Amino acid sequence: MERPDGPLIGFACAYTPLAVVSAAGFTPYRVHPLTEEPDRTGRILHDNICPHVKRILDRLLGGDLPSLAGMVFMNSCDAMRRLYDAWRAVPASAPAVLIDLPISADGLSVRFFAGELERLSRTLAGWGGRTFDPAELGRQIDRYNVQTGLIKALAERVAAGTLADGPARLQAAFNRAATAPVDETTASLRKLLAEETVSDPGGVPLYLFGNVLPDPEAFRLFAACGARVMASDLCTAGRLFQPLDAGSGRERLLDLAAALLGRRPCARSFDPGRPGGIADDVLAEARAAGCRGVICHTVKFCDPYLARLTAIRGTLQEAGMPFLVLEGDCTLRSIGQQRTRIEAFVEMLQ
Amino acid sequence: MMLEFFQEMERSIESSIRESRGVASPRKRYTLEVARLGRRLYSGEGKMAWCGVVAPFDLLTAMGVTSCFVEFVGAMVASTGAAGAFIETADQAGFSSDACSFHRSVLGAAMQNTMPVPDLLIGTSNPCSGGLAVIENLARHFSRPLTLLHIPQDQSGGNVAYLADQLRGLARFVTDHTGQPLDPERLRQAIANTNRVHAVGSEVYALARHCPSPATSKDLANFGIVMALFLGSDGSVEVAEAYRDAFRERIAAGKGGIPGEKVRLLWIQNRIQFRHPLEKMLEELYGAAIVIDELNDFNWDPIDPDEPFEGMAKRAIAIPFNGTIETRVEHLKKLARQYRVHGAVNPCNWGCRQGTGARGLIEAGLGSIGVPVLNLEVDCVDDRKFTEGQLRTRLEAFLEMLDGRPSPWQ
Repeated sequence: MERPDGPLIGFACAYTPLAVVSAAGFTPYRVHPLTEEPDRTGRILHDNICPHVKRILDRLLGGDLPSLAGMVFMNSCDAMRRLYDAWRAVPASAPAVLIDLPISADGLSVRFFAGELERLSRTLAGWGGRTFDPAELGRQIDRYNVQTGLIKALAERVAAGTLADGPARLQAAFNRAATAPVDETTASLRKLLAEETVSDPGGVPLYLFGNVLPDPEAFRLFAACGARVMASDLCTAGRLFQPLDAGSGRERLLDLAAALLGRRPCARSFDPGRPGGIADDVLAEARAAGCRGVICHTVKFCDPYLARLTAIRGTLQEAGMPFLVLEGDCTLRSIGQQRTRIEAFVEMLQ
Repeated sequence: MMLEFFQEMERSIESSIRESRGVASPRKRYTLEVARLGRRLYSGEGKMAWCGVVAPFDLLTAMGVTSCFVEFVGAMVASTGAAGAFIETADQAGFSSDACSFHRSVLGAAMQNTMPVPDLLIGTSNPCSGGLAVIENLARHFSRPLTLLHIPQDQSGGNVAYLADQLRGLARFVTDHTGQPLDPERLRQAIANTNRVHAVGSEVYALARHCPSPATSKDLANFGIVMALFLGSDGSVEVAEAYRDAFRERIAAGKGGIPGEKVRLLWIQNRIQFRHPLEKMLEELYGAAIVIDELNDFNWDPIDPDEPFEGMAKRAIAIPFNGTIETRVEHLKKLARQYRVHGAVNPCNWGCRQGTGARGLIEAGLGSIGVPVLNLEVDCVDDRKFTEGQLRTRLEAFLEMLDGRPSPWQ
């Protein structure tokens, strides 16, 4: 699949530095765990590995991927590291690199991560990309920031209920932004934003957080259950698109490293000075968005999220904020099975 | 409860050693050190830290901090048969039953107030995401200061220096929270003990490779991973020397660890931590000895006393669970060759993503040198999930299969 912004580089984690990939002349392509391929990963990975990872591997094993010039893995968790191992064990798979990812954003970690970004740049050059140019990286960061601004504006329209079929189309926009060249996405975002305003469909305002939920149909299901997702924090949604400080000159990678480590984190990252801080963050964001309840959607076997849910539940309970946890396997079928629970939760809040 | 358990364990082993006029099996001396560590952890005396698996325990020993990785507690409560109740507490609090039971038992114990409150906590990114999360949860639960060590995946580039700098920061963190500065002389002594354990322990492992092996299946169970906790102490040297002397004697006397050793097995990752009859069954019915556990090895070089932080950094990075699966598989292949094993058993602990995740690649790697692998579905901590009959059948079938094929080393 030839793209105007260059060949595709696959990735699977919201910490992936898209601007570095683009600066090397490639188009980042998020390999979503959406596939009709049968589950065949058991011969390589244990069944207790998260379905996000298994479905990506299923896509590789089943030939359900576009042509990739390479694949970038972030060392975000055990499952992702095992996916890196498994990927390379599949004959004729695209070359892959594992970029190490610190846990927190202290000075030593930022410097280390900048070194990893530099290693990524060298690897991309080795895969046929352009050699690292700080100015080009700055330009790409600027482009992503423009795109991020448009996504934010779209998310605000969806929260206000003025875009028809807003939540599902916002997710579709996230998916497009994660797989298509920036200019293409930017144009489609502008088109969406220019659409006529519709009247507010109503629904119980909820905050949604978790990890992998890329299927737009899942958001239609939430809406059909009477839920209105006012704000969200998912790795297949806004977490990938957060504004970055482009920095300047030779320290650009250092600035980018600081920005990536310092932005809203996945559960696997945390500030040791604030253990369990994710619980307070979820509550604060839900309140800021005017939500009456919180839904967590996590894929099964995801240690970083599962291990933190108890603290989150405790904090929300203490604050009187109702909380629903949904576990899924990246299929619409698994979220569909939760319909009754979502409906009951929404009814309770009405 | 745990304090009394460890105190009683310590008393009875010391008494037994006294009665036998100082003569004791190496396993007894090892267990005595375990009891002493447990007693110190739970006594409330002195400074104490809960840690991740690859924390620098010799550095902490030198700074007067009794420290331990939390998985040790999971293993201990499993060995006493108490893990089930703690796991149930964690499950009822909302921790997923799909998570590692080493960690759930620790969280349950903390919720039941049977984990001592630490002075500080040290999380390590290696070996697993779950281990780091449990340390974060404990830091929140106990409201105690936490610091983190990010362990890079390999020793390339500036990775060793990066981790060494973190370890220097760790020493400052410990000083800040204990008031105990790092005494270079005490660190030097601790490192000397570490290096002595490395030298004697390497000899122990070399002796264990002998055919027949002087080790029983139980002798070196959990040895490598638990010895890391004793590093820097005089006790660690005594334990290593006890094993070396006992193995030398057994080999000189022509005695194998088990009579009539027929099958030599490699045990991958962790042993099943609660009491069970399977190892005895393997020994008695099939002459099968577990001659080597995956973590019974030194993947690191002795530490240069003039550059202790760099040496400790290299050691933390070198644990075979770190990095890519190739590193781990190559290590397992090395052990299989060194110990001339006929087969390997991989108890795939439910909930362990890092350890069992890529089991197909481990199986393929060992298979490439003619060593078959038996993957067992097991929970190594929660004895309520122990399905003895099923495991026995699978082990028996594996042993029968091994019996019908030539040794990979002929």
